[in-house]
Amino acid sequence: MNTLTDMQARTPRAGMPPDASDLDLLRRFEPVVRYTQGEQFYPTDVDRYVKECSLWAHYPDDRDELLVKQDEMTLEKLVEPRPAVFGTVHYLRFIESLSLSESAEVLANQLRLRRLLKNNFHAGIGRLARGGLLPRVVDALFTISFLLRGRVPAATAAAAELDYFHMRAQQDKNVYYGRVVRKGQSNWVVLQYWFFYCFNSWRSGFGGVNDHESDWEMITVYLYNDGTQLVPEWLAYASHDFHGGDLRRRWDDKGQLDLVDDHPVVYAGAGSHASYFKRGEYQDEANIDLPPWVHFLNQAWHKFWTQLLDQEPGDPFRIPFVDFARGDGLSIGPGESRTWAPVVIDETTPWVGQYRGLWGLFARDPISGENAPAGPMYNRDGSPRGSWYDPLGFAGLDKVPPPPDALRLLEKNAADITARQTALNTLIPDKAAELQSLGARLTSMEYNPHLAKQYAALEKKIAVSMEEVRGLRREYSENTALLEGLIGRLDRQKRGVEDDPRAHIRHLVLPVKTTRMRFDRFAETWAAVSLSLLLFGIVALVFFAPHYLAAGLAVITLLFIVTESILRGAFIQTVAQLTDILAVIGSVILFFHFWFWILMAALLAVASFLMFQRLRELT
Amino acid sequence: MQKRKKVWTKKRPIAVTIVAWGIVLLFLIRLYQVLEPLLRMHVIQNGFTAPLFLGASLTPLGRTVFTSGAYLILSLVGLVVLFGFLRLHRWAWVVLMAWTGVSLLITLINYFYSRPNFLVMASNVIIAIALSQSDVQRIFHIRMDQGEHID
Repeated sequence: MNTLTDMQARTPRAGMPPDASDLDLLRRFEPVVRYTQGEQFYPTDVDRYVKECSLWAHYPDDRDELLVKQDEMTLEKLVEPRPAVFGTVHYLRFIESLSLSESAEVLANQLRLRRLLKNNFHAGIGRLARGGLLPRVVDALFTISFLLRGRVPAATAAAAELDYFHMRAQQDKNVYYGRVVRKGQSNWVVLQYWFFYCFNSWRSGFGGVNDHESDWEMITVYLYNDGTQLVPEWLAYASHDFHGGDLRRRWDDKGQLDLVDDHPVVYAGAGSHASYFKRGEYQDEANIDLPPWVHFLNQAWHKFWTQLLDQEPGDPFRIPFVDFARGDGLSIGPGESRTWAPVVIDETTPWVGQYRGLWGLFARDPISGENAPAGPMYNRDGSPRGSWYDPLGFAGLDKVPPPPDALRLLEKNAADITARQTALNTLIPDKAAELQSLGARLTSMEYNPHLAKQYAALEKKIAVSMEEVRGLRREYSENTALLEGLIGRLDRQKRGVEDDPRAHIRHLVLPVKTTRMRFDRFAETWAAVSLSLLLFGIVALVFFAPHYLAAGLAVITLLFIVTESILRGAFIQTVAQLTDILAVIGSVILFFHFWFWILMAALLAVASFLMFQRLRELT
Repeated sequence: MQKRKKVWTKKRPIAVTIVAWGIVLLFLIRLYQVLEPLLRMHVIQNGFTAPLFLGASLTPLGRTVFTSGAYLILSLVGLVVLFGFLRLHRWAWVVLMAWTGVSLLITLINYFYSRPNFLVMASNVIIAIALSQSDVQRIFHIRMDQGEHID
């Protein structure tokens, strides 16, 4: 963290006149979005997408009804009122159900298209090789869970890629939907840039967590009026379902934000389209809804492991999903080969405010990862989206005043506290004098048995008065310290000294360093086949050495873990951890058999220690 | 009077001493396991009076000699590890930890197959706990403080 002396003077920023039109404001600060080589979907317009879709309703009795056919679909038809029973989900469908032969055909065509476009993606070190064996087991369970959950079929992803290619061939237009909020945002002016993609191909294209039809992504620029113009101060990039101050960077934070001619640069995750401030590969942790008892056991083990055994922490449930935001593919934005076609939206835009359904397939996924998202204004359940109705709170900016207001608020705070200190300067001596007078009266009552009742009453009154005086003195002392801080900050603000731009960030998301793998190709292959080999080994044990199943299983598992650790260059750490775990198991067994003797030994040790301590005091 | 010069040395944690004594104890046990069968079979007194192999398999004398030989090798390895351990070498910690892990695994498997050896299990648990102490790991450069690096 920077110290006060590291803080820099505020640099002047280019802005826009406060009366500039919404479109001009949006264009002035529109982003440059850089994609990863291999990306298949780019921001497009909703009109053409909707025309390619059909509209459906899914009812609580698990029935689906076609409401509008594909060829008849328009934005006007999308927003027509459609009363329905509770639990109904309206959704668009970009790709209709495919038969087996159609699926095979689109998958073959997808391969041909990729060869033709030479738009290939190379993962480098695969995601499975980035984690250990245990995360791989959890990952396998996650993959198996798709058999029980709803999912978007691979052929649907392929068909979406082909359809989108044809849409681009007809008209290749990259649209962002811009929203400007000037009122009700505590003197901030908020610019939101919404990007619509036909498909999220993170899982099928890049080994990520999910696939879904349609994708909405957003970045926000926060401006303030410096008296003459609107200038940018903060930026927030939406990333998956996260929210809060960690999403926010200050406009002048050069280490954490790339700007091209005063346009912010967004590095979009391949397939996921999540927005990142810096190029790189981000290791995501999939949010798995574990049962509460698993969480409890995990936390208890973590405490035992780190606090009692003093070992390095580790999270076995970290599934290595990678978001590739390399920025080495197509770039869209000012000064790039492709530019934006902006469209201004607000609550009155019909498809924004009046359609609360999903913008793609409702895959019946209970944890929603494979269900399409709703529009910019709503969540999947039709409730209002936080980033739309509270753009300040979304990025943790609701408690932060714009710089000119900060100065005024600080001055008001300092004036209020100074006034209170002046009042306390009179009040405290008065109350203290009153207390002393009461004390003198109390002393004069002593040794007069007939005044016992009055003495007791006065004692109570004095206790209350003492508490009051103590409280006032505490307040004065606390106010002095607070005032000192306020005056210091006020002074820095007046001199135009900037705060640490990252002081609000609790968890700074950074690209991962590529894991050091010893035998690169072998490690990759091992990562891909290790879990299957383990299962083959178990089957072999069951058939050929059933009497030694438990022992064999333990030995095989340990051999796999040790092999893994050698490949990952973590042999020492793994051996230490495994031995510690075995020692814990051994301790439990020993305590189970010899608990009486262990307790007796502990008592004897305590007794000896106490005796030693006491005898030392005698000498 | 000349002022005494302060000599700063790396302080050896008590856990290291415990482990070192444990290795010495194990060495003595192994030495007994080397000598006892050889004495029993009068090999030391009379030398090899019978063949060690009968065809492709070992004779009782051959088994004794080979078992003693294996224990002798283990004892010598133990001595080398002890030497490295007392000199606070990193490799000695790694070998000892791996050894303790393997020994613990064998002891635990034996326990679950109704062949418990609580004495070995307890000594292994003590050694594992002693080796896992953060100050022991630091002194052997297993755990690094921030900014520290192996020379």
